[in-house]
Amino acid sequence: MTIWSAIITSTGQESFGGFPRDSYITYALWAAFFGRVGANWMYEFRMIEEIESGSINSILVRPISFYEYYLSQFMGYKLATTLFSFAVPIVATLFIDSPTIHSRLPLAVAVQILYLILVHTMSFTVATLSFFLTRVHGFTVAKNIALTLLTGELFPLDLVPEPFRSWILWLPFSNSVFVPVGYLTGRLGIEDVARGILSILIGLAFFGAIAAASWRAGCRRYSGTGA
Amino acid sequence: MKKYFRVFAAIFKASAISDLEYRLNFIVKIGTDLIWYGTQVAIFEVLFHHTRSISGWTIESTRVFMAVLFLVDALWMMLFSESLERMSDKVRRGDLDLLLVKPISSQFMMSVQKMSPAYVANVFLILGWLIWALNQLPDFSAWSRLPLLIITIPCALIITYALRFFFSATALIFTRAENITYVWHQVYRLATRPDTIYPPWLRYTVLTFLPLGFVGSVPARLILETPDTVLLSACVFVAVVCLYASHRYWNFALRFYSSASS
Repeated sequence: MTIWSAIITSTGQESFGGFPRDSYITYALWAAFFGRVGANWMYEFRMIEEIESGSINSILVRPISFYEYYLSQFMGYKLATTLFSFAVPIVATLFIDSPTIHSRLPLAVAVQILYLILVHTMSFTVATLSFFLTRVHGFTVAKNIALTLLTGELFPLDLVPEPFRSWILWLPFSNSVFVPVGYLTGRLGIEDVARGILSILIGLAFFGAIAAASWRAGCRRYSGTGA
Repeated sequence: MKKYFRVFAAIFKASAISDLEYRLNFIVKIGTDLIWYGTQVAIFEVLFHHTRSISGWTIESTRVFMAVLFLVDALWMMLFSESLERMSDKVRRGDLDLLLVKPISSQFMMSVQKMSPAYVANVFLILGWLIWALNQLPDFSAWSRLPLLIITIPCALIITYALRFFFSATALIFTRAENITYVWHQVYRLATRPDTIYPPWLRYTVLTFLPLGFVGSVPARLILETPDTVLLSACVFVAVVCLYASHRYWNFALRFYSSASS
């Protein structure tokens, strides 16, 4: 929020990239919360630990798959944090002069919930690398840092010059922050949300296929020991 | 002092051998930091695509700022990051006991016990970026002030170390302090933007109580602007004060430590 204030103040213009100061302040406020909810550190590390340490054995014998077991935990945690953490920007945008369209919030949150399934699938894919490699924590860090840029958490993606903007917007990652926050703050319309949902579904098919192949190959290689 | 250099060199060598044991991890470490640099560069490249100047900084001068910031970061990651990230675990498991009985400063051992020589590659890459960024500047006067980095970069590194050490050493008082790392990363973000973009109260803060402005902004300004001996002296003074304060804080925090080993 500070950097956006400074940018618009120093340029001496009323708007930046076609949008006014309030739009950026509101975007930065919402992006901080959507970005936090859309990231997966803890459960990805846990899945990696389970495979690395061999404690995955106890999950493999349960009547639920490893993917579903952690998906249920991840989604439960994220839904609870979403419910509580979003109270802050909701209240804040009610009191400050903000372009937030609150009636759009349910759809914006729904897009992110769908995106969270993709986040988990990507995390699962990274975790399956533990079957083949000794240390994979670095992949989690690299992936999540790259995602802060690709999701639009750092700045609204419509500021990116062409052709990069089109490329980034067709990737499913912008549905974590840019698409829901852009829709919520009036930068984007319903057609952008529809395109976002389509890109999540394509992303799910893509990463799902990789995850399934990696999981099968990993399980063939893995030998569980211990009581 | 000679003993400390010998120990430092021995740990560096042992860490290099340890890092090379997992070669893919070695490459991923370098790649991860390069991705972080890429995101920081992208932020400013995109912003300056829409404006010529932000609080007096042009894209050319911001590239120099980022080169200085990345250089300090790469040295930090190479020398201290891993040891300080693990401090909380060491305190909880009682590994600190072994360091306390060694005939060498426990703060020193705690700070450099595991280094990451993989980041040497990043240091060279960033030096290349710095030369390129300086070449992009409209005038060549900055080249004549480049030797100032010999003073300001170690100062910036010491300040980063001391501030991070305050956060890590808190583990001695509270035992479990993993989340303090998250707080540190949020606070450190103040260093990743030029100080002049902040409102006066925040700028005052990053140049005094929380001197993160000395990590990238001040060293960059010292080579970009006309020489300012007051600013240069302040840089050295703040580094000395921070290092001394970190040592005093370590001794204070040790009073709260109760051995966790058998």
